[in-house]
Amino acid sequence: MAYLKFQRSAIHSAVSSSAAHIGVGISGQEGMQAVLASDYSFAQFRYLRRLLLVHGRWSYFRMCNFLWYFFYKNFAFTLVHFWYGFFCGFSAQTVYDQWFITLFNIVYTSLPVLAMGLFDQDVSDQNSLHYPSLYKPGQQNLFFNKRQFFLCTLQGVSTSSLLFFIPYAAFSVMVKEDGSYISDQQVFAVTIATSLVIVVTVQIGLDTHYWTVVNHFFVWGSLIVYFAILFAMQSDGMFGIFTSSFPFVGTARNCLSEKSVWLVILLTSVVCVVPGMAVSFLRVELFPTLTDKVQTSSHRSAYAFSHQQGYGELITSGKNMKMSTASSTGSPGGTPQSSTWIENMLKRKNAVSCVSDEITGAPAKTD
Amino acid sequence: MMASSYTAKEEDGHITVSGPGALRSRKPENTAFKQQRLPAWQPILTAGTVLPAFFIIGLLFIPIGIGLFIDYTGVDASSPCFNCSQSFSWNSSRPFVFDPQSNVYVYYGLSNFYQNHRRYVKSRDDSQLNGDPKSLMVRRNTLELFYNDPNGTKVQILLNTTGIAWWTDKHPINWRRPVFDLDADEGNNGFINEDFIVWMRTAALPTFRKLYRIINKKSGMVPTLPRGNYSLEVVYNYPVRSFEGRKRMILSTISWMGGKNPFLGIAYITVGSVCFFLGVVLLLIHHKCGNRNNNADISN
Repeated sequence: MAYLKFQRSAIHSAVSSSAAHIGVGISGQEGMQAVLASDYSFAQFRYLRRLLLVHGRWSYFRMCNFLWYFFYKNFAFTLVHFWYGFFCGFSAQTVYDQWFITLFNIVYTSLPVLAMGLFDQDVSDQNSLHYPSLYKPGQQNLFFNKRQFFLCTLQGVSTSSLLFFIPYAAFSVMVKEDGSYISDQQVFAVTIATSLVIVVTVQIGLDTHYWTVVNHFFVWGSLIVYFAILFAMQSDGMFGIFTSSFPFVGTARNCLSEKSVWLVILLTSVVCVVPGMAVSFLRVELFPTLTDKVQTSSHRSAYAFSHQQGYGELITSGKNMKMSTASSTGSPGGTPQSSTWIENMLKRKNAVSCVSDEITGAPAKTD
Repeated sequence: MMASSYTAKEEDGHITVSGPGALRSRKPENTAFKQQRLPAWQPILTAGTVLPAFFIIGLLFIPIGIGLFIDYTGVDASSPCFNCSQSFSWNSSRPFVFDPQSNVYVYYGLSNFYQNHRRYVKSRDDSQLNGDPKSLMVRRNTLELFYNDPNGTKVQILLNTTGIAWWTDKHPINWRRPVFDLDADEGNNGFINEDFIVWMRTAALPTFRKLYRIINKKSGMVPTLPRGNYSLEVVYNYPVRSFEGRKRMILSTISWMGGKNPFLGIAYITVGSVCFFLGVVLLLIHHKCGNRNNNADISN
């Protein structure tokens, strides 16, 4: 909160946050001028807490994720042509079908990332209010800076090289199951395009932390739409109507019915996704941030007691026995040990959140 | 003082609109969608999901790789003197080793030939290929395969010229006037000549091979290509020396997934092993460092 600047005047109240650079106005008895001049307005000061700690933080987190993913997928998509240049005489021949290039950013990959930008939540709103320190990365510009951009570029470049070179090596000697020729430019294009769509869709799936119905619909729907449009555009019908515009006639049918092509696609997808997964996993294991810890603890709390610390220490220390004598007037053995023990476990689990509530003072009211 | 005159309407954003007495609220709707309360599945990458995934990938890929690698198809691609710029015949000094009961596929290969050059690909006119008459010239080597049987007589082997192109490329044509003779057979002439169709399917890479002929397997126990010496006669039609291209001829059989592809086999084995090894390493790291995270307090 130290970074917020408060300005109070007799006529209006305005708050600015250096992380989000938004203007907030609070409407009141003195008038509505602040409201008219601001990006967001509400009636009571206490709503500011939720605006900043929940929605402001989510907004920063979503924006950074969105940018990261958008750069990554476009690098992966475009730089394949850089590698192909070495093998097509540097003639700027495109690897993909022209229609794929047109539709990739508009139809096949736009909706999942849009849903992530609208709905994603790294931690729940209650936890965002309980742990105000989660707001710090926003103030320190940690989620998307020059270093993050460099890492995202690196991942995009390496993905593009894998997307090109694995099919390249496989296609140099490949033939169809009936012996006929398959290493042609169109099959190569469809293989790489399909691998690319699968890789970026899996990547957005791994990047989305909060899967609402809309996310599911957009992600699976994009994949289905890709295959539907692929087969539609490469059908005899479209070739018959617009012959010059749809030269990839028959390609999808011939190549996606080959086991070897699917093996290439599977290999490429796995090789592109697995390193990213390993690195994220290692980062969470070795250098967990506050966000990771909050996520793990809230995830674990859903399992009630099974993932808590062992009970031996609790029982042998006699703490639950002492508490039961203090709370109940009867004999120590009167209260069933399990119920007080359960209360103590609950208290231990909530100990941190209870403490933080006291620190922040204001009750965490929703809306 | 101020608080006493606080009306319920102005609190929480209710604004009175002058007019026919309608009270309009500026408060956003309290729906799950608009208040970011949609129910959701919240997966996180824990050790319990990532490590099994790595092990499963490793265990799946290694057998696939082994299956691909040991898949045996006979290929004979060695041929001398393909830099010669004249017709020649080549005698194979060693007998071919083929699975005697399957089809044999004859491919011609070219190196350093950029059929994937953008200008060439752009110049391809599919509506013309579909039936618009224009004149074209296509030259390519023709080759014939002879069999030297032990008696010393040369017997020409029947090379099947149909069935080498994709079935979707053989479009019905709208005109029947052949502009050039690619084949004596009327059904295989003009733009539906299969050799031409195969050639026009632009190659992706500068080194490629395309199917030329098929030697159909014979019925009964007669091997398709019996053991013995073979000779190959090549009529040199298309000059490749100017761009340092190389030509080659490949004879091959195919198996359940097409021709021999050692790259895929080795790649699958490698990726499977690396994934498995990575799974083991991450498991060790998780054991050492992950446990301390379980007990870590979340400090503010």
